[in-house]
Amino acid sequence: MQVRYLVKEGFSGFQRAKLSMASAIITICISLLLLSCFTILLINANNVVELLREKVEMEAFLQGDLSLEAVAGVRGRIASLNGVRETKYVSKEEAAAIFKDQFGEDIYSVLNFNPLPPSVKISLKTGFRTLKAASAVYDSVRSIAGVEDVIYRKDLLEMLDKRAVGLLWLMFGIGVFVTISSVFLVANTIRLAIYSKRTIIRTMKLIGATRGFIRTPFFIEGLVQGFIGGCASAGVVFVIFGYLGRWVSIQLSDFVRIDPYYYGIIVGVGCLLGVIGSLISIRRFIGESVAN
Amino acid sequence: MIELLNVSVSFEGQHVLDKIGFEMKRNEFVYLVGQTGAGKSSLMRLLYMDLKPNNGRVKVAGYDSKTITNKQVPLLRRRLGVIFQDFRLLDDRNVYENVAFALYVTNARRTDIKKKVLHALSDVGLSHKRNQMPNELSGGEQQRVVIARAIVNEPVMILADEPTGNLDPMVSAEIMELLRKINMRGTAILMSTHNYELVKKYPARIVQLVDGSLSEVELKSKKSFS
Repeated sequence: MQVRYLVKEGFSGFQRAKLSMASAIITICISLLLLSCFTILLINANNVVELLREKVEMEAFLQGDLSLEAVAGVRGRIASLNGVRETKYVSKEEAAAIFKDQFGEDIYSVLNFNPLPPSVKISLKTGFRTLKAASAVYDSVRSIAGVEDVIYRKDLLEMLDKRAVGLLWLMFGIGVFVTISSVFLVANTIRLAIYSKRTIIRTMKLIGATRGFIRTPFFIEGLVQGFIGGCASAGVVFVIFGYLGRWVSIQLSDFVRIDPYYYGIIVGVGCLLGVIGSLISIRRFIGESVAN
Repeated sequence: MIELLNVSVSFEGQHVLDKIGFEMKRNEFVYLVGQTGAGKSSLMRLLYMDLKPNNGRVKVAGYDSKTITNKQVPLLRRRLGVIFQDFRLLDDRNVYENVAFALYVTNARRTDIKKKVLHALSDVGLSHKRNQMPNELSGGEQQRVVIARAIVNEPVMILADEPTGNLDPMVSAEIMELLRKINMRGTAILMSTHNYELVKKYPARIVQLVDGSLSEVELKSKKSFS
């Protein structure tokens, strides 16, 4: 195999067909940019939903006359339940302090006594922050002797389960659409670029080039186009979310988190898009008659 | 070298070649004549296996249309040199690279490529124009580059599909001289043509395609070409 020749041929498009090469790279860059921005929003939307779910805490209010030993027993039984990550005991006095923090007034100055019951704050494990799982935990806690009442943000979980999940699915669907569109867009642009090289493909076939030999330079070309388009796209994403985002709003840049390896993924997907686009396009021309 | 046995080809139900038989030996020079649309190009395509017959079998340089695999087709084509009327040179590379291109695909050694290309260019008298681009050459010169590309692999046979079709009589004669010289060195040549004067000037065996049938003809008058 003429490796040196094939590699040289793969890079020759930069000299011989500057315009079609540039349009393929720009198309890959724009497609990836769309895809990246969408993925970043999708991942971060998911982060927000998870953040909201983390806020869902359960609070089990205990009977006021329980001894410290009984409280410890109840707390232990709650902690041993499936789905419970950790528990925190809030005594009557601590509840009164929280009340003061929230309302600015001492409970004793309002009522002359402290009606706030002691409670156990329960945080749930990751997989149990859904309405169904939380309800099961709720029932279990409710059935423990010594527990008078249990509250949690059922409405928030209901909303997250119904709307946010639906929204995530919608975004995922749009993501799939954007991905497929990107592949077609890139394949079409590359096809146009390869169309202009039909003569070369026919001549190669005529003089006895194997399909693998014909494909290789286009494979390399697609890889290089994808790499450059991917790097350009990663650069633009960095500028938008890393720099401009901070300029628009500090909160926005805190909200949108991009892991450094994500830029590598953009470049990798760019290479993949370039190669797939090239191979899809070449497949059509490689099967044509050499006599046309 | 070439053997066509009872070969039929049809496109969309229309017979282009009808049960033709043909044999051609090593070192032979054969003219293929016939009207436009008579099936000359289809017959050429059968020989470099760009087209498979609907019936019958085609044997070329040891390969059989019945048994040849897709992977073997490039190997057959490396043993043939194909020349077209419209040259089919690669506009984006110079004369040397156009000829060398045929060797790159055969995995020839780099040291051999230079030697063989310069040898082929010298055979067609274009060594001094090796760095020119195709669009800087005349029609005759472009066809000579194509011939150099066809012979650089030392093929056992050249299939020339109206190689002088786009050239004036003087240049056509030069190309014929070149093809005759190549033939004298042992390469078989099958050349399709309309050019009566050329066939008259450079006599050889003639086969004619009429209504899908192939027959041997003697050169008597210009009429036998129409």
